[in-house]
Amino acid sequence: MELLSDMKPDRKAVPLTTLFPGERAKIISLGHGAGIQRHLRTMGLMEGKIVTIIAAQPARGPFVIDVEGTQIAIGRGMVRRILIQKI
Amino acid sequence: MKKISLMGCPNVGKSVVFSRLTGVNVISSNYPGTTVDFTKGNTRIGGEKFGLIDVPGTYSLEPTSKAEEVALYMLQEGDIVIDVVDATHLERNLYLTLEIIGRKKPTIVALNLWDETKHLGIDIDVEKLEKLLDVPVVPTCAITGEGIKELAAKVGDAKPSKTIELMSEGERWLKIGEIIKEVQVVHHRHHTIWERIADTTVKPVTGIPIAILTILLTFLFIIVIGNWIVEHLMDPIFYNYYGPWIVGAVNSFSPEGLLHDILIGKSTVESLDFMQSFGLLTTGLYVPFDMVLPFVITFYFMLSLLEDVGYLPRLAVLVDTGLHKLGLHGSAIVPTILGFGCNVPGALATRILETRKQRFIAATLMAIAVPCMAQSAMIFGILGRYGMKWIIIVYCTLLVLYILLGLLLKKIVKGESPELLLEVPPYRKPDPLTLLKKTWTKAYGFLAEAVPFVILGVFIVNLLYVFGVIDVLSTVFSPVLTTLLGLPEGAIVALIMGFLRKDIAIGMLLPMDMSPQQLTISCVVLATYFPCIATFVVLLRELGIRDMLKAAGLMIVISLTVGIIMRLILIGI
Ligand SMILES: Nc1nc2c(ncn2[C@@H]2O[C@H](COP(=O)(O)OP(=O)(O)OP(=O)(O)O)[C@@H](O)[C@H]2O)c(=O)[nH]1
Ligand SMILES: [Mg+2]
Repeated sequence: MELLSDMKPDRKAVPLTTLFPGERAKIISLGHGAGIQRHLRTMGLMEGKIVTIIAAQPARGPFVIDVEGTQIAIGRGMVRRILIQKI
Repeated sequence: MKKISLMGCPNVGKSVVFSRLTGVNVISSNYPGTTVDFTKGNTRIGGEKFGLIDVPGTYSLEPTSKAEEVALYMLQEGDIVIDVVDATHLERNLYLTLEIIGRKKPTIVALNLWDETKHLGIDIDVEKLEKLLDVPVVPTCAITGEGIKELAAKVGDAKPSKTIELMSEGERWLKIGEIIKEVQVVHHRHHTIWERIADTTVKPVTGIPIAILTILLTFLFIIVIGNWIVEHLMDPIFYNYYGPWIVGAVNSFSPEGLLHDILIGKSTVESLDFMQSFGLLTTGLYVPFDMVLPFVITFYFMLSLLEDVGYLPRLAVLVDTGLHKLGLHGSAIVPTILGFGCNVPGALATRILETRKQRFIAATLMAIAVPCMAQSAMIFGILGRYGMKWIIIVYCTLLVLYILLGLLLKKIVKGESPELLLEVPPYRKPDPLTLLKKTWTKAYGFLAEAVPFVILGVFIVNLLYVFGVIDVLSTVFSPVLTTLLGLPEGAIVALIMGFLRKDIAIGMLLPMDMSPQQLTISCVVLATYFPCIATFVVLLRELGIRDMLKAAGLMIVISLTVGIIMRLILIGI
């Protein structure tokens, strides 16, 4: 519940690529086809979860993100389509 | 006999549970996608015999790779399912669980990695979970064996759930939300210092130097310790004990003649020549046991260590950008590294890749440009005496080939190259006993494969010489070998043997009095022109006959082209 009070309604959803390492954000939408969405959810990447960035590889390389204890390596194209709200 | 399928998400410990229950040692390691094929075993529970199947991990019953397709198929095979669940990530693991029990399969749930829930501050109410799912739930720690007995005891209680129905994806997540709220409490905790250190291995600034250092140290370990074993263990055994004994023994019943030569070649007690005598019991054993085995052991020890610690997925992240240029993604580093041990498991591991295009590129590149450990040990053994320069030429040529061919294949092979999507498991402290067992399992696998084939190969070569087949083939192929590649025409024997095994094939180059230049060219041609029979069979199965033919055509063309170019550079016209 503490999370909800953190959320400000005026905060817009932005792509996950805009998050800096160390910042926390809440996942708003996954933004892919249904198949990939399901796959992402079963890996723990789900709407409403808190996400942080652990590392972003240079030259448009992949990200390593942490979603509530699960670390996932994920290509930048997919990261760009995931929308978040910073908290 | 009833069959039990071990289902679960990737990297939750299914293979360890399987090994515990059956006593059959299957490979487990700390990255998702270790198991890519099913393994069957038997176990006795309460007097009744069960067939147990170890299955590749899958996140859901909608497969996204070839390995996951196998999983789906094996679910249907089982009469009973043991659903292995990662207790530290109960929520997302429950998705597959609900899918399975929604299908009314008699199921029991193993809450594995139970040990790790404690220091992660996770409390799970097992009884409540059992009630909500309406199937037996047993906490386990497969690595120590805790809970495995209880798990086995409950196999008889496995039953179709009455509370969980087949539902839509949305309904399933809602249900999972309800269950989690009732059964799990997570106490807040801060990141430990170890987790922060772990993160440095994927951050580019620190991760890349660490990766380079890790690879260099691994390489150094393999060579230094491997050489030590050769010098202090294998060589003394062969030269001081085995050699004189076997020569004496054979001489005592067959002092000369065909049988004598096939068994020990021209070796005498005074001049033991394990490399050039080409007898079944001299060279046929010396090559696999003395020249190759020590390096196979050190290689697999280091590989197992990196696997069990959980380093490979991190490496996959760091090389992802580079591999994308070759039409692959970071996960392809796993089949490649396995290929440096032996191309057979390497080819199988391409199943973790999502598309046909990726699998074709990964398998073809490996078959052409990734020499297995047996081959590498022989290349080092034979070229090393002329200096590091020649070894470096061989490996640099293969590396350049790997890159150029990858760039080309990315362009011409039709299909998708999706982005990297890979779970990165936490680092784990490897269990020393498991580590040694795994090293042994893999080294034994090498011996079981290599020794019969090497002996068969030496035997065939002897026969080919005796019947004069070699002379005929030498004449036929001399335009290619001598005119184009600048090799002695006798080198055809090595190429023939290379179809069977590459290590012994390279060993055959030695008696031919080649210059280091010729040896270098031969090593590259042998590495690239065709896979050994064992790899070929697996590739054929994995790629299908059409893609295999394409790959084989590529191999021959490339091998010849590279051979000619090297000849022009190293030897001249
Ligand atoms: N601490 C702890 N580690 C475990 C336990 N069970 C398995 N492991 C470790 O978890 C890792 C994965 O185990 P595997 O048996 O390979 O997992 P799997 O489910 O077969 O994985 P895939 O074949 O990739 O689907 C290995 O490093 C094991 O040593 C456990 O109960 N506790
Ligand atoms: Mg497994």
